Amino acid sequence: MSSQNILKWGIRFYITLFFLYLFTPLIIMSAATFNDSRFPTISPWRGTTLKWFEELWNDSGMWQALSNSAIIAAGVLAIAVPIGVACALFLSTYRGGGKNFIYGLMLSPLLTPGVIIGISTLIFWRSMGVSGGIFLTIIAQTTFIAAYVMLMILARMQRFDRTLENAAFSLGATHLQVFRRITLPYLMPAILSAGVIAFLQSFENYNTTLFVKGYDTTLTVYIASKVRTGLTPAVNALGLILIVITVLLAAIYEIKRRHEARAAEQKAALADTAN
Amino acid sequence: MDSSVHLDNVMMQFDNFVAVQKTDLKIESGEFFSFLGPSGCGKTTILNMISGFLDPTEGTVRIGGEDMRRVSANKRPTSMIFQNLALFPLMTVAENIEFGLEVRGIKKAERRKVSDRLLNLVALPECRDKRISDLSGGQKQRIAIARALAVEPRVLLLDEPLSALDLKLRQHMRTELKEIQRKTGITFIYITHDQGEALTMSDRVGVMSAGKLQQVADPVTLYRAPATPFAASFVGENNRIAGKVIAMDGKRTTLDCGVLGQLSGTSVHDLSVGESALLFIRPELLNRRTEMTENCFTAKIQELNFEGAYLMMEATPINTQSTIRAQLLSDVNIGDLATGNQVIFGFDAQDAIIMSGKSDV
Amino acid sequence: MFKQLSDRFGPMVAIGILLLMLLWLVMLVVLPQVLMIDYSLRPNLPPSQIGGPNDNYTLSNYVTLFNNQIHQTIFFKTIWSSVLVTVCTLIVCYPLAYYLAKVATPRQAALCVLLLIIPFWINEILRTFSWFIILSYRGPLNALLLGMGFIDRPIRFLSGDGGVIIGMVYAYILFMVFPLYNAIESLDGNQIKAARNLGSGWIRTHYRIIIPHAKPGIATGCIMVFMLSAGSYAVPALLGSPGSRWFTQIIYNWFFEGGDWNQGAAYAFILLLLCIGFIVLVMRLFKVGLGDIAR
Repeated sequence: MSSQNILKWGIRFYITLFFLYLFTPLIIMSAATFNDSRFPTISPWRGTTLKWFEELWNDSGMWQALSNSAIIAAGVLAIAVPIGVACALFLSTYRGGGKNFIYGLMLSPLLTPGVIIGISTLIFWRSMGVSGGIFLTIIAQTTFIAAYVMLMILARMQRFDRTLENAAFSLGATHLQVFRRITLPYLMPAILSAGVIAFLQSFENYNTTLFVKGYDTTLTVYIASKVRTGLTPAVNALGLILIVITVLLAAIYEIKRRHEARAAEQKAALADTAN
Repeated sequence: MDSSVHLDNVMMQFDNFVAVQKTDLKIESGEFFSFLGPSGCGKTTILNMISGFLDPTEGTVRIGGEDMRRVSANKRPTSMIFQNLALFPLMTVAENIEFGLEVRGIKKAERRKVSDRLLNLVALPECRDKRISDLSGGQKQRIAIARALAVEPRVLLLDEPLSALDLKLRQHMRTELKEIQRKTGITFIYITHDQGEALTMSDRVGVMSAGKLQQVADPVTLYRAPATPFAASFVGENNRIAGKVIAMDGKRTTLDCGVLGQLSGTSVHDLSVGESALLFIRPELLNRRTEMTENCFTAKIQELNFEGAYLMMEATPINTQSTIRAQLLSDVNIGDLATGNQVIFGFDAQDAIIMSGKSDV
Repeated sequence: MFKQLSDRFGPMVAIGILLLMLLWLVMLVVLPQVLMIDYSLRPNLPPSQIGGPNDNYTLSNYVTLFNNQIHQTIFFKTIWSSVLVTVCTLIVCYPLAYYLAKVATPRQAALCVLLLIIPFWINEILRTFSWFIILSYRGPLNALLLGMGFIDRPIRFLSGDGGVIIGMVYAYILFMVFPLYNAIESLDGNQIKAARNLGSGWIRTHYRIIIPHAKPGIATGCIMVFMLSAGSYAVPALLGSPGSRWFTQIIYNWFFEGGDWNQGAAYAFILLLLCIGFIVLVMRLFKVGLGDIAR
């Protein structure tokens, strides 16, 4: 066997191992849901059951946490997306002094540990008489999620042809009409994906939320607290449901993205042949 | 309706860079006017000042006699065809054409009438509901024209709109543009670096270089009687020979051209004896002579290209480094020409143009 | 600033853009950090004394860390373990990123990327929880090792830092893979061929051609993973034991058990400085700018 072949098989072996490593934990966790054991495990297997789903369904704390998480995620979506879009528009328009500084400032929340964002938000708002809770969680999460949104919108904005705006303007459109009919529709796909990402980021956040949640509990905080106190496979049931939902969402998102990419490619090819 | 465009002492400066020097120009109502020049000469800046995307540093733009100083781009009676066309990719062909009417709040039925009429004008009625990405290059070109015409502009501004097309389509679109201009009677202001486009379509051409309008003339005059050294060398091919004025007789001027000897031509402006001057002679106006007489010099043939009706020749005058291009009719007396041979070239003094200037201009 | 925006979007949208931007940067990004630093420099006083004569700026909250041997140990352990996590993640991810970018066919790469994205979308807490199950005393890993006869009695994986580090490598692996993948992918494949053609061995090709090209990606991945590890609360809380506390847990305790926010703010600021220090160090080391990092 040549060294080339050894290398090839070696790398294949490695990739297989890697994906095993990536998925085994999730599979074990999901499997443990169906084990009729008081403690979430798969060894030993004490018989297959669906009772943990039932227990989860009857857990009022879980429903409360779920509704809190949904409210927070919706709130973050409503604030972080407009901020992210505004900042991307600013960065793609403004030329001049201080731009790099402003850009750095906008990125800083991404390079700040989540706990620190939570702490500083808590301190700042308490000094104004606002204490931890759903509102503060929305604010704290927006701080860094807006930066993610900004980056995603900016990436699309950089491929935007600004003569389209000039063309619309010279055809008599007002600034507002240009913005609503040309710029915003172009950004829409990026705004939608940024919205999905923002929603998920908010939903799964733990480190920041922990400091600003006050007496409210989000779903992630609820799971963490269950793991440490009162752990039953009901947590696995919740985990499994969340995994199924995220995988479905990810799949839809990915399929849609690929579909669009392929359509764009075909169009480009068509336009080439038409020329 | 008056759709003339006046540039009254217009000047444009960015920081320390003067993009357009003080320019005074009147473009007539219904004229096809071209600005011709190399990239960076300021022609696009002029277009942007007319369209309202830029405000001149000094001077005023008037359209139909009205001062445009406080009128923003979306309120001017102009519309523009962009170099990359800038068709809206997320809208259909019809939506593109109707866009200018839509933003003016014109009703759907009205808009439809206009877009149908324009689609017929550009001969693409079947493309009405197509997406922009499904059009060919030439179709896109026509839709861009239709979109610009839909708002019934008094002045249509065209920023090198044909540069993305291949040669054949480009030549076809020249005829079509001229035709549309004739039908609509709108003032066309056309920007190009392609002298062929400028000369074939325009009523008048403004030649620009380094932010300065060098000459404004109809195509024939521009070619026959260029007014500046830049216009002489940029429009069409020209041979340029440097020398010093030694004699003048009315317009007929004689230069001492060093090793090339004394050469005479027609001066386009007043010169004085001893001044540095340039003589321009077009390749097709150089003739082959059998013996050295007046207005002749000898050159060694470097390259010969037979092009059917013509023979293009590159030659180096004896004892110089320069190159002369000559275009000879391919008649019987070219048979003996070969690379390395020496040839005597001559020309009529009234075919050559002399103006002041140094060789490095 | 306003003029450029207003020329493009009109005054109304321009005002909206600037307002949203200022609101975010001032109220959410800058002022909270400033106030946190301010807090960290003041003593912890009962509400009645705030603003009173004892409310002076002091470094005493920072001195605490120097005087507290346990906290110091945890602080340095957090740094060391985060570096370890970063290095492990880099080693685990590099071959995969290289495979995705340069070896795999486009179809294979697309499939792998999709497979990578799925765990990425799943909650960090759940990813950590799954390791909690595997590593628990009566969990499947112990059962497997017992069954195969490698060990006589179960190991307490969750009592030291080992569990935390394993969990972190797992949780943050994708923050390393994607920057690496993007960086290596942008390398012209012919450069690798050229190096091979000139007689360079595989190791030298990686060392001299691919790794230098992937530097911005490596820097980004390392910064993200270190920052996430040092700042993680979830993983040590789930996979750690009382004996293996993380610096973030001490901060949390100052806030919600010790009730000394000023002290907590000082510790938080130290953590922030640590992360900034690491970012600056990595950027110097790899000679990359901020623009290369955020992509």
